[in-house]
Amino acid sequence: MVEEKLKKIFYDALEIEADEIKPDAQLAASLGIDSTELVELTVAIKKGFNLDIPTNTFKKTQSFNEIIAFLKTKGV
Amino acid sequence: MEKVAITGIGIVSPSGIDKRKFWSNISHGRSAVEKITRFDASKYTSHVAGHVHELEAYSDVSSRLLKKIDVFSHMALVGTELAMKDAQLNLADEDLDRAGIFMGNAIGGWLFAETELRDLYIEGREGVSPFAASAWFPAAPQGQISIKYQLKGYSKTVVADRAGSLMAIGYGARALEHNKVNFVVAGGMEAPVTPYALLCCQTSGMLTKQEQNPNEAYKPFDKDADGYAIAEGAGIIIMESPERAEKRNAHIYGYVTGYASTTDGVDRINPAEDGKELARAISLAIEDAGLKNSDIDYVCLDGAGLPLWDLSETRGIKLALGEHAKKIPMSAPKSIYGNMLGACGALDVITTLLAMEHNQVPPTINLKNLAPGCDLNYCANGAVNKEIKNALVISRGRGGLNTVLVLRNGKE
Repeated sequence: MVEEKLKKIFYDALEIEADEIKPDAQLAASLGIDSTELVELTVAIKKGFNLDIPTNTFKKTQSFNEIIAFLKTKGV
Repeated sequence: MEKVAITGIGIVSPSGIDKRKFWSNISHGRSAVEKITRFDASKYTSHVAGHVHELEAYSDVSSRLLKKIDVFSHMALVGTELAMKDAQLNLADEDLDRAGIFMGNAIGGWLFAETELRDLYIEGREGVSPFAASAWFPAAPQGQISIKYQLKGYSKTVVADRAGSLMAIGYGARALEHNKVNFVVAGGMEAPVTPYALLCCQTSGMLTKQEQNPNEAYKPFDKDADGYAIAEGAGIIIMESPERAEKRNAHIYGYVTGYASTTDGVDRINPAEDGKELARAISLAIEDAGLKNSDIDYVCLDGAGLPLWDLSETRGIKLALGEHAKKIPMSAPKSIYGNMLGACGALDVITTLLAMEHNQVPPTINLKNLAPGCDLNYCANGAVNKEIKNALVISRGRGGLNTVLVLRNGKE
């Protein structure tokens, strides 16, 4: 459920299709997300999951799964 | 200067994106200036513009990238792809560290910027796309072209009002002359048909207020001229040394053989009425090309469509070319699709190359009664068959910028 919603956010924010995002997808290496896109994505996640997080939250995050894990720590 | 070959052209314009369609519309003088319908322009003093249609049909830009760039970069990318294909460049065989990009525009990417600024004041700072930081600024198209094709050589973006892209082509030709690069992607792009950009252009007082017949609104050198109609688009060319072009058997449209620019030093907006500095730029460019005044067969004019500018341009040409001025056919083909501001010069270079290829001088349209003091052969309302060996292209900008490029026919 969280995964599907996150994939939709990836598409809405960055036009990255859900089927491009493999379970072990790396944000920069496999999805080509640059630093500006990461800010756009973070703001979209913040709004989508109604979280109060800074825009540099995922600065050191490597993968899609790490974002899922982070969201779970926030009770999503 | 050492001559530089032009081996590819890419056109994104209100008169067509394909070069055949563009030339057909230009040579027949079919106006592409329309009433602005993209947004409500009814409260503006200028209501007409040249719009690019069918950009998507020619675009290979991903929807992911489109979210990050302004339409002026999009048009530049489409124009560059067309020019690259036209020049039949094989980038896999090129040293991309010696590939240059020289671009010009006047106002940057305002559609992206104004939309995000609106969101800033409505939603606060997190309502602003982080892409705004890199989408609006004038060098954004240069950056996007560099990223897409991995061109990493000596490059520049020139912001010089309406003279920007002609200056960029001049600088690109000089970079080739000085062997700083192996080939150059040069030109200009502009997207001023947006609410804020139109407002800024309107404030300059240089836009036509005529609205009854949009097709007839932009009328350089006519006694009823009251300004230009803005237009959006991009013009991109590929330049390289003649030796290189011949070695790879490229089609050579023409050569850049001379370039010069001067500054009036008179007013922060208007040109000097006497045209003396424009005349000096013309003479310096002709000298740079190693030509005489009598060698010039065509002049592609700035044609701002404002009485002072048209008079000043006419005076400058007469001062520089003397007795030959009245014998040379000249025209402002941009009267057909509108004034593309910083991209004007690039479109005028491409139009002149096509005129050389077709042995035909394109017309100045909407010219019914010559303005006082404007007494040259402006090829009013109809193309003229003529072999063009050498031509001048003139671009001018506010603050007294005068830029002149000399082109030679590729068949020579």
